[in-house]
Amino acid sequence: MQKVDMNSKKQPVGSVSGLSGVVYHALRLLLGGIFLFASYDKILHPEAFAQAVYNYQILPDHLVNLAALILPWLELLLGLCLIAGVWLPGTILISTGLLTVFIAALIFNQIRGLDIHCGCFSTETSEGPAGILTVIRDLFFWAISIYLTLFIFLVRPRLQRAEAGEKESHSKAGA
Amino acid sequence: MGASFFKIAVRDAPLRQSLWQVPALLALALFLAVSTNHWRADGIPLIGDWSTEARFSDTSGDSMIIPLERARQLFKEEAAVFVDARPASQYEDDHIQGALNIPWQEADSYFMDALGRLESAQAIITYCDGESCDLSHELALFLKEMGFDNVHVLVNGWTVWKEAGLPVMVNK
Repeated sequence: MQKVDMNSKKQPVGSVSGLSGVVYHALRLLLGGIFLFASYDKILHPEAFAQAVYNYQILPDHLVNLAALILPWLELLLGLCLIAGVWLPGTILISTGLLTVFIAALIFNQIRGLDIHCGCFSTETSEGPAGILTVIRDLFFWAISIYLTLFIFLVRPRLQRAEAGEKESHSKAGA
Repeated sequence: MGASFFKIAVRDAPLRQSLWQVPALLALALFLAVSTNHWRADGIPLIGDWSTEARFSDTSGDSMIIPLERARQLFKEEAAVFVDARPASQYEDDHIQGALNIPWQEADSYFMDALGRLESAQAIITYCDGESCDLSHELALFLKEMGFDNVHVLVNGWTVWKEAGLPVMVNK
């Protein structure tokens, strides 16, 4: 009992420490930063980003503007939530979903040979057309998002559960 | 509250939380997007006009589209210079006979070489390939900005020209 008590004092419920914790926090902040960076230019230039969305030739015309308006704000919210560490389960699910859709759209247009600008981080057409490197870069982000999803849904609750169990048994022993 | 109940609650927490967090984040993004778009000066319509006429217009909103018939006529009269906006590699494979190449990506560096022929032409017709291809439009806007007045876009130019059996140059 004594030993458990000391452990539960060391870590508050919900904290994730150790090497896996460091990796988790680093990737969470990195992905958050990527989303913030990605949202910035698109929020500033809605018309140019709408053109980029239109150029993908995936959404029906009447949904292009709405998607172009919402996406950057969603990315901004995801970035803020990831960095602040709030609403993580919902945030990481949307993150993985979005990145999956982005990569699918990029690959789809690679296959049908459409020469598009990815519109990923900048609405400037000087960014150059989206190529295989863009897909690889996005796959890297996607892998981070998948890792965080697994961590938040499977690993973190187990750590919290272990700590909660310790607290529970501790309070029982105290009573 | 028993330990087992507490354990189950914690284990299911991420999934339960995401059930309200996902719609909440989407709704918040929608709200921020629509409200900021409403108040800012350079907002865009929520439902855009992506018709061909609207897409291929100049800065004052007038359509720059030239019908194939008119383009054919100007070609016959040798009154227009055709400008291929596609990348150089595609232009080298095939293009409209007598067309210049100003790849939109490198418009600045190709522009000076093309200047002589552009200035001597009565009309300029830009084209690329595909209904959705915007390169010809971007190039036409660039040329207007450079001071040329009579600039037109032949939408989906390469395909419609080829399918109409009009003169082409093929290097394959």
